[in-house]
Amino acid sequence: MAAPGPGEYFSVGSHVSCLTCLGQRLQGEVVAFDYQSKMLTLKCASSSGKPNLHDVILINLAYVSEVDIINDRTETPPPLASLNVSKLANRARTEKEDKLSQAYAISAGVSVEGQQLFQTIHKTIKDCKWQEKNIIVMDDVIISPPYQVENCKGKEGSALSHVRKIVEKHFRDLESQKSMQRSQAQQTQKDSTLSS
Amino acid sequence: MRMVHVLTSVVGTKCELEVKNGSVYEGVFKTYGPECDLVLDAAHRKSPEPTTGPRKEDIVESIIFKASDVVVVTFKDVDPNFARKVSTDTDNFTDAAVTGRINGEHKEKDLEPWDGGDGHNSDSLESLDTDVSNGWDPNDMFKYNEEKYGVLSTYDSSLSTYTLPLERDNSEEFLKREARAAQLAEEIEASASYKARVALENDERTEEEKYTAVVRGDRETHTLGRENKYVPPGQRNREPLSWSTGRQNSPRLGQGSVGPSAPRPGPHDYSPNSGTDQRVVNGGPPRMSPKSQRTPRSHRVPPSRISGMPPGVDLISHNSPGEAPSGPPNRNNSSEGTWSSVVSGAHRPRSPRQNSMGGSSPGSSSLPSPQTEALTSASSPTTASPTPSMVTSPTGDAKECRVQETRQTPPSANKDIIKSLDSSPSINRGVCKGPPSMPSDHRKQIDNLKKFSVDFKLQSSSNSDTSFEVNTKPVRDPAEKPKDLPLDKASAAGRDAAEDNGAGNSAQASEAAPVPPTTSTNASKPDSPAALSPSPSAADAKRTGLDVTSQGVQTSTLSGSKHEDKEEKKEAVQDQVRKSTLNPNANEFKPRFNSQPKPANTPTPPRPQGQPSPSIVVPPPQTVYGQPVCFPQMYPLTPVSPGVQSPAMYQVQMPHMTVSQSKPYRPGKVPNMGQQRSDQHHPPGTPTMMHPATAPGPQIVAPSQAYSAQYFTCSPQQFTSQPLVQQMPHYQSQAQHVFSPVMQGGTRMMAPPTHGQPSLVSSSTTQYHEQTHTMYVSAGPMPQQYPHPSATLHPHPQHPQPSATPTGQAQQGGPPQHGGPPNHPAASPVQHPQHQQAAAAAAAAAQALHMASQPPQQQMYSALAATPPSMTPGPNPQSPQASFPSAQQAVYIHPQQVQHGYNHSHIAHVQQAHMQSGMVPSHHPGPTHPPMMLMATQGPPGGPQGPMAQTALNPIPVSSTTHFSYLAHPQGQWTSPQ
Repeated sequence: MAAPGPGEYFSVGSHVSCLTCLGQRLQGEVVAFDYQSKMLTLKCASSSGKPNLHDVILINLAYVSEVDIINDRTETPPPLASLNVSKLANRARTEKEDKLSQAYAISAGVSVEGQQLFQTIHKTIKDCKWQEKNIIVMDDVIISPPYQVENCKGKEGSALSHVRKIVEKHFRDLESQKSMQRSQAQQTQKDSTLSS
Repeated sequence: MRMVHVLTSVVGTKCELEVKNGSVYEGVFKTYGPECDLVLDAAHRKSPEPTTGPRKEDIVESIIFKASDVVVVTFKDVDPNFARKVSTDTDNFTDAAVTGRINGEHKEKDLEPWDGGDGHNSDSLESLDTDVSNGWDPNDMFKYNEEKYGVLSTYDSSLSTYTLPLERDNSEEFLKREARAAQLAEEIEASASYKARVALENDERTEEEKYTAVVRGDRETHTLGRENKYVPPGQRNREPLSWSTGRQNSPRLGQGSVGPSAPRPGPHDYSPNSGTDQRVVNGGPPRMSPKSQRTPRSHRVPPSRISGMPPGVDLISHNSPGEAPSGPPNRNNSSEGTWSSVVSGAHRPRSPRQNSMGGSSPGSSSLPSPQTEALTSASSPTTASPTPSMVTSPTGDAKECRVQETRQTPPSANKDIIKSLDSSPSINRGVCKGPPSMPSDHRKQIDNLKKFSVDFKLQSSSNSDTSFEVNTKPVRDPAEKPKDLPLDKASAAGRDAAEDNGAGNSAQASEAAPVPPTTSTNASKPDSPAALSPSPSAADAKRTGLDVTSQGVQTSTLSGSKHEDKEEKKEAVQDQVRKSTLNPNANEFKPRFNSQPKPANTPTPPRPQGQPSPSIVVPPPQTVYGQPVCFPQMYPLTPVSPGVQSPAMYQVQMPHMTVSQSKPYRPGKVPNMGQQRSDQHHPPGTPTMMHPATAPGPQIVAPSQAYSAQYFTCSPQQFTSQPLVQQMPHYQSQAQHVFSPVMQGGTRMMAPPTHGQPSLVSSSTTQYHEQTHTMYVSAGPMPQQYPHPSATLHPHPQHPQPSATPTGQAQQGGPPQHGGPPNHPAASPVQHPQHQQAAAAAAAAAQALHMASQPPQQQMYSALAATPPSMTPGPNPQSPQASFPSAQQAVYIHPQQVQHGYNHSHIAHVQQAHMQSGMVPSHHPGPTHPPMMLMATQGPPGGPQGPMAQTALNPIPVSSTTHFSYLAHPQGQWTSPQ
């Protein structure tokens, strides 16, 4: 698999484009190909536009109608780096917990703002969880709906003040984001009006 | 390959998986299969219209997608370097980074020689190699800096900047203060705690040496005796085994070829002293080493001697040295308490293990071994002036015995234990017989062991003689043993053995500490027994001090008086023993053999079933019996010393046993836990002095610490009156804790013969108590135990014999009792194992239980007889017992377990009662105890026991009657089981 042949195999590093049975056109750099399962792995630029990240696409060639090799790469692929499996397993676990936590919050009827705030806090402080509609940070600070700075309650101390800062910044960023979006929307509207 | 890598690198990322039918699932990529099946955790089906997120009920724990169903999987925003072990940016030059970049392409790196250039002076490098000094002297630094850099240091050695100089004057006040300070300093520096701490600081031993007493012996022996070769920890166990096997094999082989008798002959050949000495030596080295380490003085030397000395040589050397080094022993006593305990612990563990290994047979053998140990210890002390050697030798003997037993037993199911035992015991084994052979042919070995046990008994007797001679030394040894015991307590078998030893040790230690004068005066022989008894009392006193001060005091006082009496008796006995050691031994051996064979048979079955601890317990009693038998005449001396030691060992083992049993049986039974804990704690916490008491205490404690303490006190008091009495405490404690302990106690009390019975009884009583307790709870269990005991065969066979013998023993003790004891021991070991195994060997367990229950009962009885409280306890036991017989039969395994739990509590009560009775026994000293023992022993057998008990009881009016009633009930019950 690592040694692709010219015809049958995809050589690692080559760029291919394919069209799935569901009508998706996918394009990217071949990272790996498993002949037996006919699974092709492509790496493409991140959909979110972050430079140091990729999107990895796993394609089952059994459901692909066209495969076009855009350019082939003859260089030997770079060696594989050893992976920290425990780190990966840990990531899988935390991701799962986060998702379940989020689902819990959604099920509890937490507002979108509350969920966003939770995500923001969670980025900084891992020790936060939902308790009904309240966000519990470090078992110390309780943020109850509507999740404003004044809703942060707990023992006066650095923890509370720290959480308040985070909440404050979160809404400030949210505001700026909204304003930007608004301006962008206005811009687009203008463009559209202009174009129209 | 790359697919695997890529998929692995995206584990834990969120992904959207599109399947054939167009639906999209989102989840956390968990893993993948060889067929490229994909697993998503916390996956949910993504709805076409964007929503805030999945609801809890939408999420599936994990979904496995077959590769054939998957169309496209999209992993968004993957960081390719997330799981990279080495980031090339940060760790470019670590080995991992260097090799990580060439993963899969293994190319030899071209190594380049490093050229340091001309700037480096070869002198500096060489000087580093040759410079032996520990850095620079500060003055040299100052001088160097001054010469080389012209820097003048402002350092003032008086540190006047930080402190004020002491202004000395000749004023009265100053001189007064100075004197006061000097006095304080002297007091502090003379205190045992200070020395202990200093010893810790200056201890040259490695941590491993300190905390792996078992292994250490082997190592020491290796280094000292054979080679100065470092033995990796991993190999030490093996080596010990091999050593033991090798050593033991040679002895054992010779013996083994002959059969059980052959091994025994060995001891005989040795004669008591020689045999014990050798044993001591073998066992000694390990124990000794610890001690020696602690106390550089004689201890180290003795250990080295021991280790270095071949068994035979050691024996000789030990004997002579043992006596001479009385001084060292004393030292040992104070500090050794702990050390000894540690050492003993190692021994004990071995013995227990052996016992456990042996199962029923091991039990018998193990019992003997404990006794032997005690004897050996006693003997060694007496013989060898160096206490360490003495101690070691006793322990070694015991170990050997135990080892042999263990080896024999190992075949069944205690291989691990055996291994451990072997490792530790190896030394012992080496002394006793060829361990290697034993391991290979466990059963044969067991048989041999049984024989050995018998032999051991003989040896023990001989040992006891020796011990008698050097009581002080034995005492010290015992103390050491107790300490060891605590350590070893972890292993049930080890605990049992430890208990026995511990008791003995503790007793000895107590003797040494409190009784030091007496011991010295008595000459080691009588003193040792007395010391032993006192030690128990001391222990009791200590415990009581914790629990009941008054009791403790009484015990102490009693012990003191008893000690004297005992000493006298012991002396007489010792003399006899000394004179007739060989002959007595031979005689004793025979009886033991008879009894032992049966036990051995039973033991073997148990072995598989039996747990180490149980087996251990059993063995001690046997040993005790054997010893007692040997020393019938000697009774006071041998019984006491062996008994004490053995009890300690037993106790230690017992705790384990109890713990294991109690834990399994009744989680809720706090007493057991407490006992165990207490046992453990006691050993470590209380040094030599405490150890004896603690050792017993632990056993007792196992049931109930407070109770145990009280019991101990009571028992000690009783014992104090006579050597027997002292033994009794041990027995009680042992019995309570472990069957074997009880057995030992009995032996002690009665003298060898009685001991044997007592031990049996005690074991049985202990079990009964437990059973009775259980009985209270549920009659069924109790009966089962009883039947089981009978089933255990060993006990039963023994019992029959014992019963006959017991009566005789009660009167005379001697061989018959021995026979009985062996059986009991065997039974008890078996029982213990059985208990642990519970289901596996219900019958065995039952027997074991019976044994145990019986001993407790006896104890109880004694206690009851002694005091009204005892009476109350007695009734309970009686009722339980009565109920037990029938119930016991009905209930098998469960009862045993229950009994154990109950037993503890009951035991506690019983013990208390015993304590009381013990007080009474003090009056009755020898007789009462024997009766007690007899009663117990008789009880199990049934008719015979009953008579015996009665006879015994007769001597003790109140207590005896009460006991009798109890015993009678028990006996009847017992008989039914049998």
